[in-house]
Amino acid sequence: MKIKELLKSDAGFQYITDSMDLMSAAGRRAMLNATFCTSAADLEAEWDRLEEAIRATNDIPNRRYYIDLRHCLMCLHDLSGTFASLANHTPLNEVELFEIKNLCSLSRSAVTAIEGLGLTPTLPMPDCSEPFAILDPDHTGIANFYIYDSYDPELPTLRRELNALQTSGGDPMRISDLLARQSEIQNRVCVRLSDELHPWVGTLVKTMEQMAYADFLLARAELAIRWNLVRPAIGDSICYRKLVNPRIKQRNEEMHLRYQPVDIEVHSGVCLVTGANMAGKTVLLKSIGTAQIMAQCGMFVPAEEATVCLVEGVVTSIGDDQDEMNGLSSYASEIIKISNILQACRSQRMLVLIDEPARTTNPVEGKALVQAIIRILETLPSITLITTHYGQLGTDCRRLRVKGFVEGMENIPLTPQSINRFIDYSLTEDQSDNVPHEALRIASILGCDEQLISLAQENINH
Amino acid sequence: MPFISEILRHKSLSIVGLEKNTGKTVCLNYILHRMNQLGIHVGVTSIGVDGEQVDSVFATAKPEITLYRGTHFITSEKHYLIRQAVSRLVAVDDQRTSLGPLVTAEVLIQGKVLLSGAATTAVLKRQIQNLDSMGVDISIVDGALSRLSLASPTVTDCMILATGAAVSANVKQLIAKTRHLYQLICLDEVDETLRNRLNNIESGIWAIDSEGEIHDLEIASVFLIDRSEKDILRFGHTLFAAGAISDRLLKILSAKGKDITLIARDFTKIFVTPEVYVDYTRRGNRLMVLQRSKLIAITLNPTSPQGFLLDSKSTCDALSDALQTPVYDVKKIEQ
Repeated sequence: MKIKELLKSDAGFQYITDSMDLMSAAGRRAMLNATFCTSAADLEAEWDRLEEAIRATNDIPNRRYYIDLRHCLMCLHDLSGTFASLANHTPLNEVELFEIKNLCSLSRSAVTAIEGLGLTPTLPMPDCSEPFAILDPDHTGIANFYIYDSYDPELPTLRRELNALQTSGGDPMRISDLLARQSEIQNRVCVRLSDELHPWVGTLVKTMEQMAYADFLLARAELAIRWNLVRPAIGDSICYRKLVNPRIKQRNEEMHLRYQPVDIEVHSGVCLVTGANMAGKTVLLKSIGTAQIMAQCGMFVPAEEATVCLVEGVVTSIGDDQDEMNGLSSYASEIIKISNILQACRSQRMLVLIDEPARTTNPVEGKALVQAIIRILETLPSITLITTHYGQLGTDCRRLRVKGFVEGMENIPLTPQSINRFIDYSLTEDQSDNVPHEALRIASILGCDEQLISLAQENINH
Repeated sequence: MPFISEILRHKSLSIVGLEKNTGKTVCLNYILHRMNQLGIHVGVTSIGVDGEQVDSVFATAKPEITLYRGTHFITSEKHYLIRQAVSRLVAVDDQRTSLGPLVTAEVLIQGKVLLSGAATTAVLKRQIQNLDSMGVDISIVDGALSRLSLASPTVTDCMILATGAAVSANVKQLIAKTRHLYQLICLDEVDETLRNRLNNIESGIWAIDSEGEIHDLEIASVFLIDRSEKDILRFGHTLFAAGAISDRLLKILSAKGKDITLIARDFTKIFVTPEVYVDYTRRGNRLMVLQRSKLIAITLNPTSPQGFLLDSKSTCDALSDALQTPVYDVKKIEQ
């Protein structure tokens, strides 16, 4: 699976890619085409390269090379169309030939910068001196281009005459003839140069791809430094110390709200997450999903310490999709999604994140469905996290409870804005089959209609 | 050699026409010719795509621009490939136009070139900076159609206004239309302190009270002005419109009272018809600008695209008299 497909399903990951400081359109394409990696060896190698890139980015004495390299990447143009023409023996025009010469020249500057940063083994670049030489017949070494006089023996005399006529206001008919002849020669030269460049098309494509990859790599390195990301270890379970959701952390900081990272460990099988409303269960699922995708897309993760267990994919049913437009009710779209998740898990090991399944239907059938989902997923090799408000599910799977409201805060006036200061988002192992009952209390904190709350309370008391 | 020495005091020049076929290109060729004689290193580009060899509206022959050795120019890939000058490519921009990417080249053997350029003033500004970094003495921007935005003092340092029979074959009307725009170009500037304070405001209509305090009138757009229930003049009679100024705004202000001073960013933001403007000023109101464009000259093309020909000398004289500024028929100067 490629990053561009993952972006459709994970809004948190979209925020990560949007935050990356890519210098070129080609670099952005390299990012979108990067794959969700399932091989431990490949991923370790990718993380090694990222670690090297982070070292180079932090290499203050060689800052000059870093700036040079990023500047080269900024000048990188996407030449895929030109390369396709070259591969198909379609003659290139002067502008396209210039672009190729410019790429060769850029790659030469990039190689110098990469060497200066000690990144040569990490970012090996093809040698473009041959195609550059084809486009630099006068050995100027400069990335300018035109159909040089030396490309054709007829050009120097023709242009001398043309120049004399043009500057003296000579015979327009003769000028017109000379221009036509020059045009013929130039076209012939373009065809010849395109033929000479044809064998180098692979080298040129590789050069552009490597530079685009360098752009993506440096952007990941810069992000890792900016957000204090950490290199995960690969293990049999998922384990984070102080896991953060970058998007929500950013939003909280903007609103001057506290952000509490969480510690969590999840193993194969099913783990239920319970806790009061507003205790951050949904955010927890999203954070775990985003971090898993980041790790397997060759990035470091937003935590202080991390172990990831490699999976074939991340499948989620987290209920903020707007499926009404497809003519499906929220229950219908949810149950279809869950059914697809079960199908996927039967053939592959997945990370499964389901937020409050069956909450939009009647509690009797809803609870039965949740029990069934748990039973099925327990037998499959996936790692599953399910949040729920249903109690007494009668399963012996592992349960984690978000601690929720801090005790002893009852008399402090709460507002919807300050509420997050009174919630402890950390998780605790829970042996009981019950769930917290704090819905009315939260409604009252949120300043909801008093009659509504008191009537509901009476209903419970009876 | 009229107005050339004046141009040399600036780093960038725009040539804008009151209408199509008012002789911008003739004027540009004249300037380029003179600059070449003086050995000035020129950079040339255009705004938008206006480089067709034959005018697509009236099917009249459209003169191409002659560029001389050493000139840097920016045009689209498509127009570059059909140039008659021999030139060397020095840069290709990632910015695409409908005619391919914009390319920058240096002329090796003089010849004719079709110019096309950036679609927006933001890109144009960057292109002018690029030309500047290539060491040109002056950048000249050929205007397209009746676009005036490039003549904004934030884009180019000075401007030439081209007018002519294409605007109106009736000399009186030609004078009236040219004078209207000329008046807007020549509006008085506010003082520097006020300019610095208003310069960074990007939208809305603002009032400046007698103490010099700036108040947001909380009108997001001129179109919402009559929805505003509060008196627009509650903070005094000096107003600043950060965006465009339309007939509608002037009419509302005319109805409100007199002694109003309305400040525009520059003349390219003012889109008012002569009648409404005259009515507005007759009531004792005035328009001012934060920054005034430096108008170097007005040129006249006496030929209209339909073939109508005005008398060059008498029309130039009549315009000069009415505007109290010199007006040139460039074709006549060259002869």
